[in-house]
Amino acid sequence: MLLEVTELTKAFRDTMAVDHISCTLGNGVYGLLGVNGAGKTTFMRMLCTLLLPDSGAIRWEGSDIFSMGGAYRKLLGYLPQDFGYYPDFTIQDYLLYIASIKGLRPAYAKKHAEQLLQQVGLWDIRKQKMKKLSGGMKRRAGIAQAMLNDPQILILDEPTAGLDPRERIRFRNLISEIADKRLVLLSTHIVSDIEYIAGEILLMKDGKLTLTGTTQELTASMPEQVWRCTVQREQLDHYLQHYQVSNIRNTADGVELRILSASCPMAEAVPEPATLEDVFLYHFGEKAGADHDIL
Amino acid sequence: MIFYEIKKTVSRTGGRIALGLLLFTLAVSCFLAVRVYYVNEEGAREYGYSAVQKLRAAQKEWAGALDEERLQAAFQENIRIRHSPEALSEDITENNIAFSRLQGIFEIRSLINESYAEGFRSYDYYLADRLTSVNAADFYQNRVRLLREWLETDAKDQFTEAEKAWLIRRYEELDTPFFYDYVKGWRRAMEYFPTLVMLAVMILGYLVAGIFSCEYQSKAEAVFFASAYGRSRAVSAKVKAGLLTVTGIYWALAGCYSAFVLAFLGADGASCPVQADLGGWKCFYHLTMGQAYVLVLLGGYLGCLFLSGLTMLVSAKTRSSVAAVMVPFGAVFLPSFLSFIQHPLMNHILVLLPNRLLDMGTTLGYFYLYPVGGQLHGAVPLLLILYTALSLVLYPMQYVEYRRLSKK
Ligand SMILES: Nc1ncnc2c1ncn2[C@@H]1O[C@H](COP(=O)(O)OP(=O)(O)O)[C@@H](O)[C@H]1O
Ligand SMILES: [Mg+2]
Repeated sequence: MLLEVTELTKAFRDTMAVDHISCTLGNGVYGLLGVNGAGKTTFMRMLCTLLLPDSGAIRWEGSDIFSMGGAYRKLLGYLPQDFGYYPDFTIQDYLLYIASIKGLRPAYAKKHAEQLLQQVGLWDIRKQKMKKLSGGMKRRAGIAQAMLNDPQILILDEPTAGLDPRERIRFRNLISEIADKRLVLLSTHIVSDIEYIAGEILLMKDGKLTLTGTTQELTASMPEQVWRCTVQREQLDHYLQHYQVSNIRNTADGVELRILSASCPMAEAVPEPATLEDVFLYHFGEKAGADHDIL
Repeated sequence: MIFYEIKKTVSRTGGRIALGLLLFTLAVSCFLAVRVYYVNEEGAREYGYSAVQKLRAAQKEWAGALDEERLQAAFQENIRIRHSPEALSEDITENNIAFSRLQGIFEIRSLINESYAEGFRSYDYYLADRLTSVNAADFYQNRVRLLREWLETDAKDQFTEAEKAWLIRRYEELDTPFFYDYVKGWRRAMEYFPTLVMLAVMILGYLVAGIFSCEYQSKAEAVFFASAYGRSRAVSAKVKAGLLTVTGIYWALAGCYSAFVLAFLGADGASCPVQADLGGWKCFYHLTMGQAYVLVLLGGYLGCLFLSGLTMLVSAKTRSSVAAVMVPFGAVFLPSFLSFIQHPLMNHILVLLPNRLLDMGTTLGYFYLYPVGGQLHGAVPLLLILYTALSLVLYPMQYVEYRRLSKK
């Protein structure tokens, strides 16, 4: 049960959104990590046969997914980044409709939709119209929709975007629950979303997969050391200019910094084990820093 | 799938408003169509069901083959009433009392006005009062004679010799003497139906425009197209939902309207030829009132089917309903602008535009002929064949178009 991607490429006018990507995905949770504009959505849309690649191929068990057509989509569950729904449908109607276009038999669809609604915690409000739901509820309805056909391949594009921290935790747990015995590809630009649940992480930058591996492999591969040190407020600017700083925390004695550097930045600095977040910062530099603020 | 597609369409607020508007239009059309008055013996107007019954009874007395005997009787009756003291009086109420007596023969009197008119295109309301005598042979022959004269003079350049001969032959083929009856129900139903259909076609267009574009408007298209049947059965379900919406709503409207109007005014005279009524005297199609009405309904359906199909195709192609909802509006209003273009061929084309299907009653009266397959035809059969064929192509095209777009 392998999804093989070879030299996949897609360009939009002058931007290479996806640039010769190759990877092989089996069962398990994959975290596709990259800043906005890295090409995650474009990559996923091709995996869902919504977009034709310029070159390269995607194969499921050796067959081209675009030739497989409906047979491939039968195995697919997809939650788009910009998840749209029918505002005047109730959650239940929505799920039953999607079930019908996924080719589920009505009796089975009804039973399965009920089970999924229970699982995502929407059973009690199943008769509510979609337009009345909060962002978190919509996403959960989106997950339920993607899970309807019990997909072999589950593709979730930024499923946690716009959720508050509590909903985000709930979401992580939900994904861990449903990740069993299938391929889950989850994109995000927020490290903490996938740090613990993804078996493998695909780091995407400018349309390319720059690094792949488990959290441990990625942190181990970091060529720079992480240092923790405390500096005076006046010195803060100096350090921000000369070092990559992954975290800043105000303390009683000054400002505690987390610095990525090959050499020791100051005598008092204490070496620390690198986290996935540090790896992300190392690869994406300033761009990533901006995104971290919203954590 | 189809069930949910239809539900999507009608569960929108806009969809609900559209359906409400349709019901309102239906009610207004029904009301206007049956608003018939009867002038009673006191010379006062009466409205309502009882008035209809009285008018019907008065005209029913004259029902039967419009032969020499009946024509003479009606003619003499008209003269008698015209020379009665009430008719000659200066007093309006007295005149109205005279008119009250005239109602039974009013339609036959109108036919006499048509038949004995000075020219093919003229109509004189008082002509029957001035005539000294009529006879059935002339009465029916005049119809052909006036056509012939018109074709030799005013309309000399409008028709080819073959067309002229064809028209005259058609006129001569009318079975005479024909059967006369009270046909108000059919006539009124035919007269007010186009208003209802024109509004219906625009509202139907609005409803079906969203069937394809709603996926994009609500950004639900990604999930739709990534589903197992998102490019096959689910797309054809949309096409079918459109067809069902148009068919269901149209026939529900047409059915309610026809049932109400014909029940209220009476469905008498279904087998009278359309020529036995003022509005159809010049018609060259040989149809009974009932057949003509069925044609009006079928034409309306075909018009709705075609224009809604075109709307859906545009919505499938552009992924937006903005341009799509304009299709029926354009179809209804554009031809009246086009008619300002003065060109001999223009009128021939205008009469084949889909809006003519929505008003078959009027289309039956058009004198445009088309040589097709070595024979001349009026616009009506051509419209029916042309738009049936186009509709048969339009709906499958939506399927192809929507599937194709989905891959970008
Ligand atoms: N439909 C499109 N037309 C033109 N450019 C696009 C389109 N979709 C994406 N892009 C461009 O491709 C790049 C990758 O976008 P995207 O795949 O959405 O990234 P991500 O999901 O990682 O934020 C961006 O530079 C974006 O502007
Ligand atoms: Mg994206």
